Amino acid sequence: MSSSALTTPFDQVHSTESSHHGAPPHVCKFGMIIFLLSEAMLFAGLIGGYIVLRLASAQWPPSPDLPALPKVLTGCNTLVLIASSLAFHMVEVSVKSGKTGRRWLLLTILLGSTFLCGQAYEWTHLYREGLWFHVGGVYGSSFFVMTGFHGAHVLIGVLLILWCFLRQCFFKSFTQHHHVALDNVGLYWHFVDVVWVFLYMILYIV
Amino acid sequence: MNVSVAPDIDLALDHPIALETHHHSEKKGIMHYLWSYDHKMIGLQYLWTAFLFFLLGGALAMAVRYQLGFPNHPVPLIGRFLPSTLASDDGTIIPGGYNMLVTMHATIMVFFVVMPLLIGAFGNYLIPLKIGAGDMAFPLLNEVSYWLYVISGFFILAAFFAPGGAPGTGWTAYAPLSAVAIYNQTQVGQSLWGIAIFINGLASIAGATNYITTIITMRAPGMTMFRLPLTVWSLLITSILLIFAVPVLSAAAAMLFFDLNFGTSFFKPAGGGQPLLWQHLFWFFGHPEVYIMILPAMGLVSEIMPVFARKPVFGYKAMVYAMASIGLLGFIVWGHHMFVSGMNLTLSATFAVSTMVIAVPSGIKTFNWLGTVWKGSIEYTVPMCFTLAFVSMFVIGGLSGIFMASTPVDLFVHHTYFIVAHFHYVLFGGSLFAIFSGIYFWFPKMFSRMMNPTLGMIHFIATFLFFNLTFFPMHNLGLGGMMRRIADPTVYEHLRQLQPLNVICTIGAFGLGLSTLVFFVNLFYSIFKGPQAPDNPWLATTLEWTISSPPGHGNFPITPIVYNGPYEYSVPGMDKDYLPQNEKAPTNIQLEIH
Ligand code: HEM
Ligand SMILES: [Cu+2]
Repeated sequence: MSSSALTTPFDQVHSTESSHHGAPPHVCKFGMIIFLLSEAMLFAGLIGGYIVLRLASAQWPPSPDLPALPKVLTGCNTLVLIASSLAFHMVEVSVKSGKTGRRWLLLTILLGSTFLCGQAYEWTHLYREGLWFHVGGVYGSSFFVMTGFHGAHVLIGVLLILWCFLRQCFFKSFTQHHHVALDNVGLYWHFVDVVWVFLYMILYIV
Repeated sequence: MNVSVAPDIDLALDHPIALETHHHSEKKGIMHYLWSYDHKMIGLQYLWTAFLFFLLGGALAMAVRYQLGFPNHPVPLIGRFLPSTLASDDGTIIPGGYNMLVTMHATIMVFFVVMPLLIGAFGNYLIPLKIGAGDMAFPLLNEVSYWLYVISGFFILAAFFAPGGAPGTGWTAYAPLSAVAIYNQTQVGQSLWGIAIFINGLASIAGATNYITTIITMRAPGMTMFRLPLTVWSLLITSILLIFAVPVLSAAAAMLFFDLNFGTSFFKPAGGGQPLLWQHLFWFFGHPEVYIMILPAMGLVSEIMPVFARKPVFGYKAMVYAMASIGLLGFIVWGHHMFVSGMNLTLSATFAVSTMVIAVPSGIKTFNWLGTVWKGSIEYTVPMCFTLAFVSMFVIGGLSGIFMASTPVDLFVHHTYFIVAHFHYVLFGGSLFAIFSGIYFWFPKMFSRMMNPTLGMIHFIATFLFFNLTFFPMHNLGLGGMMRRIADPTVYEHLRQLQPLNVICTIGAFGLGLSTLVFFVNLFYSIFKGPQAPDNPWLATTLEWTISSPPGHGNFPITPIVYNGPYEYSVPGMDKDYLPQNEKAPTNIQLEIH
């Protein structure tokens, strides 16, 4: 049969296992990557706007009596988030080697939640020091909106990982050969971490 | 009627059947219409919802034109029922209300009519059929995308009922007007606008993700990229534009929302923000957006034209490369909307040049369309008439675009009716003509009946004439100095003598409204009473015509195998004048390599 000349990705579609929606793993991952590209553009829009506003500002923070952002504390928090990415990587490693990966999932959830708590603490702390959305012009605006957008992404990520964890506990949904949803949550989670590293750099360090 | 069956059935059976790729079963009863995973049903959901918005958007346009033609005359019949934010007690449209009408008309037409029709309706309906797939890659996501669109629709409609009324800042929502509540007086309406745009964007992103994945990974055996019908190519490129452009608007809309409701100052100079930042973000999205609205239209007409010229598309690959370069260049020209914003002149010249460069691929496409009909045996069916009209109207709109791309000219015509003429030539004469063409063309596939050609021809001729009557004089109005977004031209000394032109435009607009009603009459009449359509009424080559009308759940009884490019019409030496994509050419026939 001369179908090798006709081979298209369609052929691979049937070769491997299907997720519960029917699309095979490589298709799901492909879709996730496209979606993450659009997410990257969302943050690019926010970050681009921030850069424009910040470059136009004579000094930063715009006024000396505005509170500085807690570099060190959030730096530690950044490490926590990076650690959570590593933990999720271990989830994938252990699931691929035939284990359930439940402990690593739990660890990721804990680390992710720690990050969220850290952010919540920071928001309340800054609020008490007098910084909020409407204070300090673009300084307050950009900080709260950007970290808020990112925090919402982390929250969704934690919920997704929690969902994976519960499925793993009750249904053993992800096995050595069937883990595409896990992979996709992983892609999302790593993406959210990478975005944070950028945000940390431009909001806190530079 | 001639139904082409996949030629080597046993070969086809070696390939697993398309149906296997999705396990969901067909829904029964009302859920079949409300929550379906079938791409065809989702396409039709988009179609009908967008048509509803089309009627609303059209009614708003009529109100706008009435006010401009007959300023400060009470609107007959319905005027007294208009809310106080739009009209005074006697039914006269008030200036602020006029701005709301214009804003809502444009927002609805762009985000709730043209995009959902071209991308949501045609994209969903046609992509899997044309690539030989059983459905989209992610059927659930597909339905979610539709409902996100509906939800965003509720938000935009809610703006009419908000305290203070709908936003009146134009579809471009320029800051600081849009960002400061005491300026625009419509904090709630403008915020609802922002929310609607954001959710609508999510729907677009979900749809685009699905389309790209489906086209890249789910093509039938033999359907190589360069055998894809041009409609599919156009939707692929459009989806990529959506992925990169829409999120930037979402970010901007979110910032606007926070400026309005949380006291942030992204776009407010008082807090160190920049109104110009809004313009940059909006147009970074906005210019790709205009290509998002024209590329699928180009795809549809490129598909319809060869069928009724009985000739292959002239320069298939050139068409693909032209669309790809239009898409790419579309991201580096946004500054041509901002020539008067005080932009640095070098930058301004750069944007002018990059804009003019886009005229090159646009020109390539135009000449290829001419090449396609050149010496063809043209059948002047209704879809073909709309397709030919598309090309001529697009040329007019494209040419005025090149005028405006030149900074010195634009300084003069910016924010005048010349711009309004330009974008209606490309959006109505372009996108909407292609949509009409596509409806007449694929109606038999969607509803297994033919549309009435006489009513169709009346619709076409009336639309063509009234369209030009409405929008051509706007060039003159613009050059005569008539500004956009003014409620009453007669208060300006220099515009009084132009008022007769405004009356002509208004008469044209009402004619256009009536001719659109002819279309809807035809649509409903034909759905119920039209003659039964054969599976392949136009003797076309692409895969959707090889299966029943409407296609069953799962589309292809057996996965088709593709042997040819999409436009094998009048192949020399063959006894029938078209060769379906899934039929092997007789061995004595040598096809050009595709
Ligand atoms: C040959 C290609 C084109 C060129 C060179 C071009 C150029 C331009 C320029 C320079 C402007 C800004 C004018 C001003 O505000 O002063 C403009 C506005 C506009 N164009 Fe085009 N254009 C082209 C094609 C299109 C197409 C295909 C569409 C849509 C399908 C489109 C839709 C619009 C719209 C909606 C506006 C007005 C936006 C607004 O201010 O509300 N254009 N065009
Ligand atoms: Cu533009």
